Amino acid sequence: MESDFQQVFEQFPNKRREDLIPLLQHIQDIHGFLSEEIIKKVGTYLDISVNKIYGVATFYDNFRFGPVGKYHIRLCHGTACHVSGAGTLLKELEKILRIKDGETDKQGLFSLEVVSCIGACGLAPLLEINEQYYTNITLESLKELLVSFREKENLLP
Amino acid sequence: MEIQIDVNAKQISAVEGETLLTVLRKHGFKIPTMCHMNRFSPTGACRLCVVEVEGKRDLITSCSYPVEQGMKVRTNSQRVMRARKSLVELLLSNHPDDCLYCVRNGHCELQWLAEEMNVKERKYFGEKNATYPDYSSTSVARDPAKCVLCSRCVRICEEVQLVTAIDFISRGNQTKVNSAFNQGLNVSSCIHCGQCIQVCPTAALTDISHVEKVQAALGNPRQKVVFLINPGASASMAVELKWKPGENLGGRLAAALRSCGAFRVFDMGYATDLHIVEEARMLATHIRAGKPGPMLSSCCPAWVRYVEEFRSDLLDNLAPVKSSQQFLGTLVKTVYAHENKLDADTIFTVGVTPCVANKYEASREENTHRGISEVDAVLTVRELFHLLRAYGLEMKQIDEELMDEPFATSSAFAYKVNYTGGKAEAVARELFRIWADSDKETFKFNLPKNQAIKRETRVKIGEREFGFAWVSSIEEADSYLREIAEEGRDDIHYIEVMACLGGCAGGGGQPISRGFEKPLARKRICQDVEKGHSAKSAWEHADIRAYYNKNKTGRPAGQADEWLEARFRERTDLK
Repeated sequence: MESDFQQVFEQFPNKRREDLIPLLQHIQDIHGFLSEEIIKKVGTYLDISVNKIYGVATFYDNFRFGPVGKYHIRLCHGTACHVSGAGTLLKELEKILRIKDGETDKQGLFSLEVVSCIGACGLAPLLEINEQYYTNITLESLKELLVSFREKENLLP
Repeated sequence: MEIQIDVNAKQISAVEGETLLTVLRKHGFKIPTMCHMNRFSPTGACRLCVVEVEGKRDLITSCSYPVEQGMKVRTNSQRVMRARKSLVELLLSNHPDDCLYCVRNGHCELQWLAEEMNVKERKYFGEKNATYPDYSSTSVARDPAKCVLCSRCVRICEEVQLVTAIDFISRGNQTKVNSAFNQGLNVSSCIHCGQCIQVCPTAALTDISHVEKVQAALGNPRQKVVFLINPGASASMAVELKWKPGENLGGRLAAALRSCGAFRVFDMGYATDLHIVEEARMLATHIRAGKPGPMLSSCCPAWVRYVEEFRSDLLDNLAPVKSSQQFLGTLVKTVYAHENKLDADTIFTVGVTPCVANKYEASREENTHRGISEVDAVLTVRELFHLLRAYGLEMKQIDEELMDEPFATSSAFAYKVNYTGGKAEAVARELFRIWADSDKETFKFNLPKNQAIKRETRVKIGEREFGFAWVSSIEEADSYLREIAEEGRDDIHYIEVMACLGGCAGGGGQPISRGFEKPLARKRICQDVEKGHSAKSAWEHADIRAYYNKNKTGRPAGQADEWLEARFRERTDLK
């Protein structure tokens, strides 16, 4: 992991201020989220104050500050999904998984993120789990989907 | 180039490149602002400065809009007035309604604005943002509930002090001014200068109050409360209360504090003189030993903290001398307690200073010994007013008294160190005495005419020439240090660094003041006192000579060294 970060740093040899966001994106791709330690390292490397980086990173929804679950659920809440019932799906997800938007459950299995339009409005409502798309979701198919993941992990009685 | 604009059907002239707000204010138009700060780039964040410009569909923010030839501006049209009032009403809708319990009650810009805009009822109801106050720091308290997101603190912290301990976190209506990882100021890179408190329009940033602590001690018959009055604090009071020049500033304060129940009132200027003499001795040693780089003053606790955090390479250059507050606290609890057969832990020392960082300094671990703090509480000038008001003291009706012996007097330099350049001159004069081994001064400390550009001077002592420099604000210190390092200069021997702009006269613990008017007034009061002062340098102060005659080394006999040495260390906070 340490050497991976080093490799990312090496891609930005000029240490410019504007390198900050691409650098953070690269790091999140590897690590899954931005930890305090990493932000401190980035700060030292680019000579930017830690708080400044934290401020920039919290400005964008795409940056996360905690680990995601094994199944990272991104629920689309764009206009088309909204009118076809994304709100109900969100409530159901929160009820079943007992987590809210931006959180990860205690087992580290599921995490939930509400995103704006994914760009497949014709298939609304939809969600993305670990880069797999599940379209035209209904309450029933959502429950089945979650059960199937739990079965895979042998978590059902 | 001069251009003409039309404001409220009146022709006024402006210079091209100026912002509309600058021009309007210059011509006496009152435009409300909240986020605007002179000398800083405009942000247009608060939008209170909106005006109507003919031909523009939307209202424009005058603070960020450059003037144009022939533009027609209306500063008080119905639309403008309504927009401004709504803005204030919206700010209030997310503000706690606890003005009566607020430390800034009566001194709050939001309160003034609401009054000016004639806001008489609550117009917007809704959920308020959930926030948590932060009392983790030893000096600066934050209450984000009262924050209006004007960004003045963020800008001063980043641009003037180069610290960025606080910044905007999150976005939209979730935005908050907070420290890194929302962890509290105590683990942030905050240097405790308190400049954020000075610029805060509301009570979102205040000092950690010691008033109740002091009141409790005053009411406790077993505690002997000793006040240590920084001459800068009395000068600042003189400005606030409009005292005439020539009045004994500290004397009236001493009388007032005695009627509050003070056991002794001492002049911190006494320790300032000691500090100056000690620092000059260190400087002589520094130069004779040929140590690399200039010696840096260490009397400003915020600057010391900055070095510890960000420039640990300079730690060895800091003069290892205690600041005057800690010096006097130590003397009171050791020498004075011993000579008067008092128990050190029954003495409660209270520093009264124009500084917020002094609160933090008093809490530094090396300034406490076996459970006894050198200084137990620190009151800023603001808090001093609260204390005196609470005791119902009308300063105008109080007769002057003298401060208590043996720390009753100070030299002119105890006042002079309150503004930038004073400390450098004080140390230069002492160095002259030590180096030339003569009490007679034969040099003039020349202040360059344009101090904004050049903040250094040279002093010839015997055959040798010494360079002295002075900077205020961390930004200035940092750029100056970089400059001399890049040019490889070795002609500067001593640099006075004050973390607040203009020195302690612009200190974080001063009464809230916008702009430079009040700091300059404080400087003038100090200069007035200096003129009429008999002891023109620290060594001319007879009590100091007596002190050194008694203790040849400058250190009171029989006291452990740990009580008298200033120590610095590298810190790894969230910077």
